[in-house]
Amino acid sequence: MAYLGAPILWITILAPVVLAVVGLLLRDNSGKTYRFLAYTGAFLLFIPAVLVLYYSYTGALAAGIIDPVIADLSSYRIGRMMLVLDGLSSPVVLGISVVTALVSVYSIRYMTHRIREMEEHGEKVPGFEVYYALYAGFAASMLGMAYASNLILFFIFLELSLLTSFALIAYYGYGDRGRISLLYFVWTHIAGALFLAGVLYYGLNRGTFDVVVEMDGAVGYIAPSPSYQYLDLAVAAIILGLLVKMAVFGVHMWLPYAHAEAPTPVSALLSPNLIGIAGYALARFVYPLFPGIIEGYKTLLLSISILTIVYGGLVALRQVDFKRFLAYSSVSQMGYMLLGLATLTSMGIGGAMLHYLSHAIGKAVLFMVAGVFITELGTRDITRMGGLARRYPILAAVTLLGFMHLVGIPPALGMWSEVLIVYGIFDGVQVTGQAVLWGITLVLILAFMVTAAYSFVAMRRIFFGPPRIEASEYMDDFKATIVLVGVLGVFFFISIGTLSEPLRVASELLVRVMGG
Amino acid sequence: MVEPGYVVEGFLPWSLAWLAPYIGAFILALAYIAGSRNDKLYWGVSLVSILASAIISTIAAARVLGGEPIYAKASGYWFPWIKVTLGTYIDGLSAVMALVVSWLSFLIALYSVKYMEGDWGLHRYFFFITFFVGSMQLVVLADNLLLLFIGWEGTGIASYALIGHWYTDEEEYWVGVPGRRALGQPMYFEPSHSAVRAILFTRIGDIGLLVGTAIIYLTVGTITIPELVQNAAAWIGALAAKGILPSLLLIFTLGALGKSAQFPFHEWLVTAMTGPTPVSALIHAATMVKAGVYFILRFAPIIIVGALAAGEAAKAQALDYFTIVAGLGAVTAFMMATMALVSNELKLILAYSTASQLGYMFIAGAAAGIIAYHGELEAALSSVMAGLSHLVSHAVFKASLFLIAGWLIHVAHNRFIDTMGNYAKYMKLTAFSLWLAGLSLAGLPPFSGFFSKELVIYYAEEAGIGPVLWLAVITAGLTAAYTLRMIIRILHLPPREEGHGHEPHEAHPIMLGPYLVLALASIILGLAWGQVSGVLSKAAQLTAAIGEAVSLQVKFAGLTYIVIGLVLASMGVVGFLYMAARVDFMGIVSRSTAARMIHDFLYDRWYINSIYYIVFVGGFTYIMLSLQLVDSLIDLLYHSAIPLLAALGAAALRTLHRGRTDYYLTLYIYFASLALLLIYLYWR
Repeated sequence: MAYLGAPILWITILAPVVLAVVGLLLRDNSGKTYRFLAYTGAFLLFIPAVLVLYYSYTGALAAGIIDPVIADLSSYRIGRMMLVLDGLSSPVVLGISVVTALVSVYSIRYMTHRIREMEEHGEKVPGFEVYYALYAGFAASMLGMAYASNLILFFIFLELSLLTSFALIAYYGYGDRGRISLLYFVWTHIAGALFLAGVLYYGLNRGTFDVVVEMDGAVGYIAPSPSYQYLDLAVAAIILGLLVKMAVFGVHMWLPYAHAEAPTPVSALLSPNLIGIAGYALARFVYPLFPGIIEGYKTLLLSISILTIVYGGLVALRQVDFKRFLAYSSVSQMGYMLLGLATLTSMGIGGAMLHYLSHAIGKAVLFMVAGVFITELGTRDITRMGGLARRYPILAAVTLLGFMHLVGIPPALGMWSEVLIVYGIFDGVQVTGQAVLWGITLVLILAFMVTAAYSFVAMRRIFFGPPRIEASEYMDDFKATIVLVGVLGVFFFISIGTLSEPLRVASELLVRVMGG
Repeated sequence: MVEPGYVVEGFLPWSLAWLAPYIGAFILALAYIAGSRNDKLYWGVSLVSILASAIISTIAAARVLGGEPIYAKASGYWFPWIKVTLGTYIDGLSAVMALVVSWLSFLIALYSVKYMEGDWGLHRYFFFITFFVGSMQLVVLADNLLLLFIGWEGTGIASYALIGHWYTDEEEYWVGVPGRRALGQPMYFEPSHSAVRAILFTRIGDIGLLVGTAIIYLTVGTITIPELVQNAAAWIGALAAKGILPSLLLIFTLGALGKSAQFPFHEWLVTAMTGPTPVSALIHAATMVKAGVYFILRFAPIIIVGALAAGEAAKAQALDYFTIVAGLGAVTAFMMATMALVSNELKLILAYSTASQLGYMFIAGAAAGIIAYHGELEAALSSVMAGLSHLVSHAVFKASLFLIAGWLIHVAHNRFIDTMGNYAKYMKLTAFSLWLAGLSLAGLPPFSGFFSKELVIYYAEEAGIGPVLWLAVITAGLTAAYTLRMIIRILHLPPREEGHGHEPHEAHPIMLGPYLVLALASIILGLAWGQVSGVLSKAAQLTAAIGEAVSLQVKFAGLTYIVIGLVLASMGVVGFLYMAARVDFMGIVSRSTAARMIHDFLYDRWYINSIYYIVFVGGFTYIMLSLQLVDSLIDLLYHSAIPLLAALGAAALRTLHRGRTDYYLTLYIYFASLALLLIYLYWR
């Protein structure tokens, strides 16, 4: 089975957008409307996750599924704009779906608090319905990126995600939000422009922007790109653009500002979901089209990835602002994704995709916890925290679970992605002697230890030691969503067999397409 | 060599041996989220699930030792991509391990019911204890390396939580003397600090274990233990052909070195004393540190058999590996024993002794490989089982010692032995237990500790590496000395300092029972060593890659008498110095500079902790500061320098557009002429 009977994938994108429009038309500023919007939205946004789980379970996802509604722009030399869902995108879709759905509910209390706070400071601020419209648009456009089969379609969704997230930061962000949202907008657009320039050069030469196509009733790839003059330059622009989006070392400058100062529910989406999609795009579009050129980048990408892990982790250790700490940790986590991708092996690529999901879950939990402290304690300064486990025992437990996803400790899904990435490295790198073996091992120990160090040190600084802040934990849907995200991570850990099979098939197909 | 035959069975019920505690922990987690704070529910579920595990382990052990190994497996793969099965593999070795782990854990959990009564973290405590036991059972029963790794990491996170149990860091829960520094580094550790140390230290090795697993999988295409045994020659030969066998095995073993606190990863174990005392008992006797030893005992025979079959290159490379491990074990055994001589914290003395005794077990496992290289396979496999026998006897007496320590610290309301004293007068049964368990640790015949340690030393002699042997022998003497010093100070000498403790009295039966039983077991196991060694020999016969009966009878030869003599002599000297001569050691230390230097060197753990802090923590702090600077520079480049350049460029361009007609006209004429000139040149 390749084609679905109904345009379900389009519906999963459009439904939240329709809901957003309904919300704007209602123009009702009551809590009841907020709840209606957020809960309906959560329901709609969760559908892709159900699709992934269902089709993984039935096995249909291994071949991939294609939405029957296709905009055929072949005559304009653009290609066929399709939405597809296959093993490679399944962890990405799952991550986006789960996080956006639960953060949607989480937003109710957080944004009510944020909007009231801004109004008390005498600022004019658009209401919750505007927030929700942007939020739904942002979530839908990320889903679109994960579904897109065509480079132009991908870029359109990318632009939409940037515009909506820019507006969210500009309207509801913290600190100097005007400047920071602009900074975010400019840098990600420079990245987008680089990407687009490369893509246009390639696509206009090739006569199509299609990458993923239907092949014998399954999802496949078009043949790798023939060689054009200056193509390597175009590919360099594409890779650079994606690396800036991913915020790897050297071009990460925009991320700590944007992710720290965005309203926290948006941070929980930006940090794990949006930036990781750039890594996914590398595997989805760049790898199958330009396998030869990518081979030449292997060493460079491996080095950057290790550098990013260690650099992001060590700088994170120095942060005193909880959200800025998490932002640097995201930089470091993108290093892991790139590490898996750079091995150019099926296990490494699959591990990177799986890491997208583990990071999405882990980091979403952590940002949501930071949000609880912002709303209930009014601080995100780690130096003022300490001993909070005594006040928030369940939150402490779920935070630990979140960190376990990043560090890779069972029963968190992060363990499986860590295992796959490590296996991928030794599959992709020839161990020729004892020195090489020790070298790789020590580098890995350094990388993983840095992650473990910042995680457990932060855990200690925030939650352990003598309690310093008076507070008491009570459960509501605000916090229940955090627990639920964490629990889903454990569920994914257990059901790894079902989840990973389509991913294995897709990764192995990709490596075959690349000629490996 | 006969491989033990097995028939693959269904996943349940045998897998409940590790699944039951996990299910218990899961129920407790749900109960906690649901808001239940009923103490009875927590310890009840915990005890029941651990008991279920113990009962299943017992039935399994009875069957396995009856000659029928168990391989219970879920059909298909759990994680098909890298062929991870979900199975329980019980051969002789894992049957004995599971038996020891589950029953000791049960006794310790029982003791905890009373010990933790009224503690504000009781619910969390029992959740993690249960999870801990499940993970440890998974380590010893897993049928493949990644399942083992999951249990392995599970013990790591559980120990992290339990060591940091009293995370509010009140001073009474610290380890070390508050305010004491060595080389400028603090030598006192809060529970939350110790927890971070424990997980970070052990995780270094865990990455090595994962790397080893990856390479083995990529070499042979399987990570299932029975298949690794069957294909041992193939994968060991392939790695040896590449010339990476010793490094790979060492990297693979890093996890075991970390978990079992062998030098240079021993530092976490001593500060792990910040946890509640039953946790220390659990970590030191039944779980966690024994995981590393189990790993060595599990893989040493596989490596030996594989290397022997794979040829000379593999044999030589395996010898390198085993020699390094034996060396590390011997250094650890000796080093930690010297630290135990001067320590005045009760739990710390026991912690040093644990790491030291673990060193013996590593020596036994590694000696096996060296003996095998010299061609005596049967002696080699016996050496592995000597390691197992020392593991068993140590588990029993060390659990007893820690549980006693828990009560004594409660009585003294202080962790230092200086405030304890004359307890023999008030607690006859506790004193009796302490003597029994202590003498077993000291290695006095006919306690079980004597037999098992004697076996290890015997095989160390067989291996023929002089330094390892002599360190092992000297350590035996040191062990007897520090053990007797501890016992005498606590039981028979008046306290050195005034304490604020309770009136000394005997413990509640629920607490007294477990340690009395274990103390008695340490002498009974010794008296019945003939039977015990028979059972262990039977276990060897049914263990993968061993498969034959081994001899675990102590052969009383020259070295045996030397060791017994050494043990008796050092006990005699200590007894004389403390009881008869009443030497004031601390007085000597405060008067003599040389004595103080030696004392401080040992008391501050050979300064290794301080060196680690200076080199690694200090080094990384420096690197972090530089990286912070780099980060600011990057920020400056992108957000100040580039915008500034752009602003300057814009200003420069703006000067060209100042709105004056004459100016525009001049420019127009210049550029038009230039254009015309170029056109002319081109056309010419």
